[in-house]
Amino acid sequence: MKRRLTWWLSLLTLALVATTSLAWSAMSHVEQVTVLMPAPFAESTSALVEQFNRDHRGRIHLDVTSGPRDTEAMSDLAISSLLLGDPPYDALLIDVTWLPKYAAAGWLEPLDSYFGPDEEATLIKGARQGNRYDSRLYRWPFNADVGLLYWRTDLMDAPPQTPTELLAISQQLIDAKVVDTGFVWQGRQYEGLSCDALEIIRGFGGRWIETDGTPALSSDAVNRAVTWMAELIRSGVSPRAVTNYAETESLQAFKAGDAALMRNWPYAWAELQKDDSAVRGQIGITTMVAEPGESPVSTLGSWGLSILRGSDHPQATVQAIRYLTDASAQKQRFLIQGYTPTAEALYADPELLAVAPHLPQLAQALELATPRPPTPLYAQISDVLQRQLSGVLTGDQSSVDGLERAQTTTSTILQSAGGD
Amino acid sequence: MALLLATPALLLLLIIYGWPLLRYGWLSFHANSVLTGLVPIPNGGANWVRLAMDERFWQDIVQTSRFALVSVGLELLLALAIALLLDQRWRWRGGVRALTLLPWALPTTVMALGWRWIFNTPYGPIEQVITSLGGQPLNLLSSPQWTWLATVFADVWKTTPFIALILLAGLQTIPGDLYEAFRLEGGNASQALRRITLPLLLPYILLSLLFRLAQAFGVFDLIQVLTGGGPAGSTESIALYAYLNAMRFLDFGYSATVMLGGFLLLTIAVGVAAVGLRTVGTIRGEAR
Repeated sequence: MKRRLTWWLSLLTLALVATTSLAWSAMSHVEQVTVLMPAPFAESTSALVEQFNRDHRGRIHLDVTSGPRDTEAMSDLAISSLLLGDPPYDALLIDVTWLPKYAAAGWLEPLDSYFGPDEEATLIKGARQGNRYDSRLYRWPFNADVGLLYWRTDLMDAPPQTPTELLAISQQLIDAKVVDTGFVWQGRQYEGLSCDALEIIRGFGGRWIETDGTPALSSDAVNRAVTWMAELIRSGVSPRAVTNYAETESLQAFKAGDAALMRNWPYAWAELQKDDSAVRGQIGITTMVAEPGESPVSTLGSWGLSILRGSDHPQATVQAIRYLTDASAQKQRFLIQGYTPTAEALYADPELLAVAPHLPQLAQALELATPRPPTPLYAQISDVLQRQLSGVLTGDQSSVDGLERAQTTTSTILQSAGGD
Repeated sequence: MALLLATPALLLLLIIYGWPLLRYGWLSFHANSVLTGLVPIPNGGANWVRLAMDERFWQDIVQTSRFALVSVGLELLLALAIALLLDQRWRWRGGVRALTLLPWALPTTVMALGWRWIFNTPYGPIEQVITSLGGQPLNLLSSPQWTWLATVFADVWKTTPFIALILLAGLQTIPGDLYEAFRLEGGNASQALRRITLPLLLPYILLSLLFRLAQAFGVFDLIQVLTGGGPAGSTESIALYAYLNAMRFLDFGYSATVMLGGFLLLTIAVGVAAVGLRTVGTIRGEAR
């Protein structure tokens, strides 16, 4: 009897030791990967993160930290943590305009050795842009995002194609008292104004920054574009209040049925299809107007995942990035939250097309995607443009004067970069 | 002995105020930006030359001073009225005192978001009332001439209670016998205000002015949320400009220069004002 007990006890001890040591060794091999994302993106991945952690139990533990909702607040948090050195994150979800700055500051790890050209080729054109700096890959796209022109299918047969048409159609609808206002966009002095201006400037055949890196804001085409923007407000096609509109305010006016046309990002589509929308089922999307002979462009938005230099687990982080951005993840995110997919194949997916008839137009806009000037000094030059444009739009200064100032200041800023 | 006892406090002050100032002074003589890979490189006085030539900096100095002087001036007047009212004995005084403090208790960001909505055209309540009465929309946040008044308005709403509270505390230190004696001597209420209340309240007024002016010159969160510095940069403050340089443009050398430049100008202004006040005080004292 006693011998039997000893036997059982020793077996039990053995089992205990074995399991603990097994668990211990497993524990010590678990790689902890932490990713910082703005709150809405973090929420959109929570189910996927759980799934990932189940699939990689004992090997990788992924933790997505939810940052602020606002883009600028997110940038402040990311930069503060990076400046302190040794940030607690392995990867960051970054906006397309931050990339050159972060890469130049030496904060990002090149991804060329992880993501090959064949993998990049699966992305839709708009998602292939804005991921490189100095020809190295620093970011893997999380969603695709471009500026769109929303139009009311109940008020017009086809959306306006040219600036003149846009003015005429809007004026007609306002005169007929069908809508309060024609065209709402982002005229507040902030980044959104630069996005809208880029589309309009290019639509008139102008350039913000030439391909050789010199500013071209004092050209005649840019002047005509900005004069047209001011004309929108002067003629009443856009309300004067548009000079204080960000995306939310534009969406509010358009959703209430007060406007005929709106410039906004793809996320607005889902908002406009909700029950409380006055224009539900009556909207179409296209790209910003362009003068005859000029190709319309869409300003490239989009967020992507970058690995921070000094991360202890680059391999595991790449695995997590792949998992969070693969086609099925994108499909889920599009169906549930409305984030635009990056995989080209999904734009022909019957399941997606069935619920989102606007996908082909979205794909078209992504073909026309144009990044904002990819310089580490982008924030400065955009700030200059916003300031001067805001001056022109609020009636403070003439378009020629404002653009001349923007041109001079932008040159000075960019020369300081070249001169050092 | 006194110095020895004060040493810990002085050391703390030195660490909190002295070190950042030294560090900023040092940074302002270096190029330290995304272009230098965030490595500080001495650049002589280039940042200071740039600051002296920077129209935007001087415009921001003017705008910040305008904002600070007008809003603190209005706050002082309003707060004095409120403090006098709350010092009287009446029925719901306790409740009203608590209510008056409410704006001060709200976080600035929340308050600024609220005002942004209230000033919104055309959906904000102000514009709704105006347009429903047949008026033209004001577009309060879209005018380079007038938008700064909206920021002043929001600031006055938020910080008047702070001054009122300090002044109320001051009022309660004035003994009631003084007024009684003054009345017996045949003085009336407005004379009492001028001869007793205001002179005795002066230290409290100066204290609240000091606090509030320093705060108002450093205004950041209210502007950042309400207008973002727009339209056309007409509401941008020094602190916002310094913040943009550091956190958006990653140009720490110049950001430090902007901040220090603003600090130096403010110190000079306060010094001149203090000397001026003292001179006026002495002259009046001698005249009496």
